[in-house]
Amino acid sequence: MADKQTVRMVLPLAELPAFFPLLQQGLWLQVEVGCSVIELLTDQFGIDVKYINERITTLFLDGKALDDPETAYVKDGSILALSSAMPGLVGSTMRRGSHLAAMRGDITYQSHPEESGTGRVKIKLFNMVMSELGETVLAHGFWLSKSDLLEFLHEQEENFWSDFTASLDGDQVAPDELIEVVSRVVSSGETVLQVEFKS
Amino acid sequence: MDKILRINMGAAGGPQQSTEPAGEYTALGGRATTSMIVGKEVPPDCHPLGGENKLVIAPGMLSGTAAAMSGRLSVGCKSPLTGGIKESNAGGQAAQVLARLGYAAIIIEGQPAGDDLYKIYINKDKVDITVDNSLKMLDNYPLIDKLRIEYGDKVAYMSIGSAGERKFAAASIACTDMELRPTRHCGRGGVGAVMGSKQIKAIILDDADCKPRQPQDPEKFKAANRAFVEGIRKHPVSGEGLPAYGTNVLTNVLNEAGGYPTNNFKFGQFDGATKISGESQAELEVKRGGSATHGCHRGCVIQCSGTFNDKNGKYVTKQPEYETVWSHGGHCDISDLDTIATLDYWDDNIGVDTIEMGVTIGVAMDAGVIEFGDGEGAIRLVRDEVGKGTDLGRILGNGAGFTGKAFAVERVPVVKNQALPAYDPRTVQGIGVTYATSTQGADHTAGYAVATNILKVGGDVDPLKPEGQIELSRNLQIATTAIDSTGMCLFIAFPILDQPETFQSLLDLLGSFYGIDMTGDDVVALGQKVLTLEREFNKGAGFGPEDDRLPKFFSTEKLPPHNITFAVPDAELDQLYNW
Repeated sequence: MADKQTVRMVLPLAELPAFFPLLQQGLWLQVEVGCSVIELLTDQFGIDVKYINERITTLFLDGKALDDPETAYVKDGSILALSSAMPGLVGSTMRRGSHLAAMRGDITYQSHPEESGTGRVKIKLFNMVMSELGETVLAHGFWLSKSDLLEFLHEQEENFWSDFTASLDGDQVAPDELIEVVSRVVSSGETVLQVEFKS
Repeated sequence: MDKILRINMGAAGGPQQSTEPAGEYTALGGRATTSMIVGKEVPPDCHPLGGENKLVIAPGMLSGTAAAMSGRLSVGCKSPLTGGIKESNAGGQAAQVLARLGYAAIIIEGQPAGDDLYKIYINKDKVDITVDNSLKMLDNYPLIDKLRIEYGDKVAYMSIGSAGERKFAAASIACTDMELRPTRHCGRGGVGAVMGSKQIKAIILDDADCKPRQPQDPEKFKAANRAFVEGIRKHPVSGEGLPAYGTNVLTNVLNEAGGYPTNNFKFGQFDGATKISGESQAELEVKRGGSATHGCHRGCVIQCSGTFNDKNGKYVTKQPEYETVWSHGGHCDISDLDTIATLDYWDDNIGVDTIEMGVTIGVAMDAGVIEFGDGEGAIRLVRDEVGKGTDLGRILGNGAGFTGKAFAVERVPVVKNQALPAYDPRTVQGIGVTYATSTQGADHTAGYAVATNILKVGGDVDPLKPEGQIELSRNLQIATTAIDSTGMCLFIAFPILDQPETFQSLLDLLGSFYGIDMTGDDVVALGQKVLTLEREFNKGAGFGPEDDRLPKFFSTEKLPPHNITFAVPDAELDQLYNW
């Protein structure tokens, strides 16, 4: 990530919902791969294992429902989706360790180890987990194409900009200049966006 | 609920009403009552729109009491859509009011001579069945506005829109919510067409001066209710996810699982899912001055509904449910919440099942009537064709199967002619078993709820063991049938599933109300009894094993992204009812 240009934003926590669409679609993050899902979340994101066990009760790795995040391994390019418990029969079926897991046996993740190293993982956050972990994931920094970044910035309304600071590779950028600076200075391809929130 | 109201719409000289003791139905409710009465009194080979069919309306075992979540109303008949037995239920206020009036059921039978349209007003002292042809062809919203002038705001309304009067097989019966909007529908199976065939436009239920139903053991009942509410509130599904995001919280998860039926069941993932997710919908609703947390009946502590306003803050519809957002959204390649909300409004107004209507539009898109993704076109089909009863509207209003036949579409996702809901059976094979075998046709709520101790009846279930889909579906269908009889909202299933003490509090509620001891075995026995009866009815209506099947394309077409087919053998499906 050090080789890419980095846009850093600091916003009030009240603006976290502006990032909810991105969090649902998923963010590409640079992580150490080959580890288990539990290790990824606890070691690399500092998420408490109690939170994982009690709140993240529905997980998918590459579209497969996970029953045991300790024996599910991420690789370069994995897509990990995190959710709280879901309603409905099918929602219940998808939960980790569900009594009804057999009903979705064809899409259940089957454990197999992966190679270690540095890679990218896409993390998607849904429902309550999105609100509760969004801040953590956004602070990690994520890859975003220049066009997607500009589209995101253009969509934001007045309140987003009202108490906002930004920098590009460490140099402060005024809020009302950010879009122009990104358009002009940021090279095409991907950039890193890192978002922090203040109370 | 010690009495039954019987209304003979075809009596000589005009409709007649009589009251009889509830007898064996006194301690039953909901689906148990409707299915037992239909099973006993309706010839299974009758025409569903003829005089021999009956419309049976029943509140639940705990409706009209102080028990939380007890506001579901069941409507039963022979279905004009499936041709089999039907129980269709809804929230809203009607169940609570009907139960407080003391009725275990209303049975509507016969057909009037002539073409007059009737309304029925029921209070604690009388039942008025009167002609009111000024209501003809009014859709539900203007109909309720008109009725409110006469009957006021302290009543509950059940009604049909123009679709019911036209006897479309997708027609629903609307029940008003706490704000007197006709937003809660007995949607599935064409029950609105049966009400239309009896030439009844509206039923007005007035419980003025009626008290809540009193339990046999008030102290135990109060304690059980407290424990029940506590269990519901502390559970993350019923206490957090559903109140915050509604049922549409399922969109992202189903999409991630690859089981979100897209473009008429061609794919399992929809690119526009995030735009129409429950999270996005809740955000938009709150931003526009609507609400993402709202109960459909008094006594609801889950509050999974909401209100959807347009960009100017004006009311459009109640928060669309997951099934509606899917059927009008991903199923039709539409990713705009305003379009979906408008379609939901028109479904409610005209009075059609949102699942059947949405699936029908998707089939029509496959036929080339309009393009996939054409939101304005979809609105026009519902509002201007179905809503006006045009020739095309008559085709569409009779559901996905009928539309598929009319336009020679091969890919028609129906079982027993009822449209499949929002879960692809190739991804979750167990739901496919339920779709195929349910007595109700393709129905996602038929095998919905389970309690750990119900599953343990007859042996424990090891979650790591690949227990057959058949056994799981069987257990689920039995348990759900029983819960459908209590009048409880099905979303109590999650606290019951995870928290044995909450399931016990439900048994205690029932036990302390009726002065009996209820166990998990009793719940199972009730579910089995009702399912057996429903199955017998369907046999009499001409159903056989060949009807307990999914459309063939589910077994032959691989569904991306997992590239799987439905693989449960027919021989296993035929074992489900062996108990």
